[in-house]
Amino acid sequence: MKADFKTWFAALPAVPGMLACGVRQPNGKCLGYGDEKIYPAEKIEKLLKQFAELHEPLVAAELSPRWTTWAFEYGHLRFVARPDRRLLLLLVSPDTEAVRELDRIAEEFLAGTSK
Amino acid sequence: MSKENKIERERHVLIVDDDRDDLAMAGEAFRALSEDRWEVHTAADAAEALAVLRAGKTALLVLAVNTPVLDVGLLLGSFGQSNAPFKKVVVAHPATDEIRAASLAAGADLFFEKPVSPEGLKSVFDRLCELLDWKNAQGFQGVLRSVGLPDLVQMECLGGNSSVLELFHEQPLGRIYIDRGQIVHAVCGEISGERAFQKLFTITGGTFELREFEVPSEHTINRTWEFLLSEALRHREQLAQRAKSGENFSADAKTVSGEPSGQTAEMLICSGAGEVHYNWQCPAVADRVTLLQAVAQRAEKLIPDLQLGRLDRVEIQLADGRAILQPRADRLVFVRVAAKP
Repeated sequence: MKADFKTWFAALPAVPGMLACGVRQPNGKCLGYGDEKIYPAEKIEKLLKQFAELHEPLVAAELSPRWTTWAFEYGHLRFVARPDRRLLLLLVSPDTEAVRELDRIAEEFLAGTSK
Repeated sequence: MSKENKIERERHVLIVDDDRDDLAMAGEAFRALSEDRWEVHTAADAAEALAVLRAGKTALLVLAVNTPVLDVGLLLGSFGQSNAPFKKVVVAHPATDEIRAASLAAGADLFFEKPVSPEGLKSVFDRLCELLDWKNAQGFQGVLRSVGLPDLVQMECLGGNSSVLELFHEQPLGRIYIDRGQIVHAVCGEISGERAFQKLFTITGGTFELREFEVPSEHTINRTWEFLLSEALRHREQLAQRAKSGENFSADAKTVSGEPSGQTAEMLICSGAGEVHYNWQCPAVADRVTLLQAVAQRAEKLIPDLQLGRLDRVEIQLADGRAILQPRADRLVFVRVAAKP
């Protein structure tokens, strides 16, 4: 994992309203930030795995998503998959700055700011 | 002074329970706890209850529901309309969401889980005393609908009570733990502490109920209840102001959805089982249904884990537009919008 990606990723939890974020590397290794009690690393890793599994049916249905957003009553989950199989997961509170930053973060991730 | 004069009218309490053992126990417990200040009447069926109510002295009716199949609305209705001159409380075991909703809809002022221990009976007795003592402009009638959460929190804290306030909106949303008049813990989905407390106050349209106090797994709140209540109400007011000033109340959803920027390219509406109700330009219906069902199944797995409440929709950002999926138990919806050329 390169330093500039680490720096970029480490800044995400500072966005107001960011509840948790995680990234899965092509080699399967995961890195996550979140409240250790509510969103421990294992939980983030599990979520990344679950969304990765759902990505395939979307592609199979000829829907190649740039990202997907799961809008729950009390939080939004943004899942972004890059062609190099690197995955990003963001969990944000719905009434916060973080939700308005989702597109920017996703675009940066896809654009490879995080190479 | 006659006994009748000693017992104020508002202290005539009628307990209705078809479980005669529970009825006898509750009757004895309430007489003892009230130190005979209450005139406790008991009835094992509707006919006995109506005979007591016809005397016109009852101030409080406590109806025990022991079976989920009982028509609570019908039974409460038979005891008097919503403007009946006595207060109504339903205690149920099991205390299901359906019974709670039916009880409140039928005009119950409070709803509790049926107490099964002396401590539980004492806790319910205390709430009933507060209900009888409650004097506000509208009375306590309809407290769960019209008085609202802030009043009940205040009442519990002022009374130095220990209880758990559980909030619902179709499903459990969160809890506020009050220990001897102090708010010690709140949880709303995955959030806990002051943020959870504030969040619970922004929920509209839900119901809540008082439960027996149980020690929370952790203490996440240390501030005074006066401060917490004041902050929660201020926060709620801010949100209301934003909505009033034209800022979309669900601005977050707007941002996630983005502005409408294209035209509908395909639409599919199915029953929860996948039966097609409406199809417009959907190129592969079976594939879409399979996808919707996969998303619905995934949502079912995710929801308990995340505790973020109900899933409203899944949005897929495509290279040439967007797709919106609504996987609900009763319907599956797929809409694809093409971006403007």
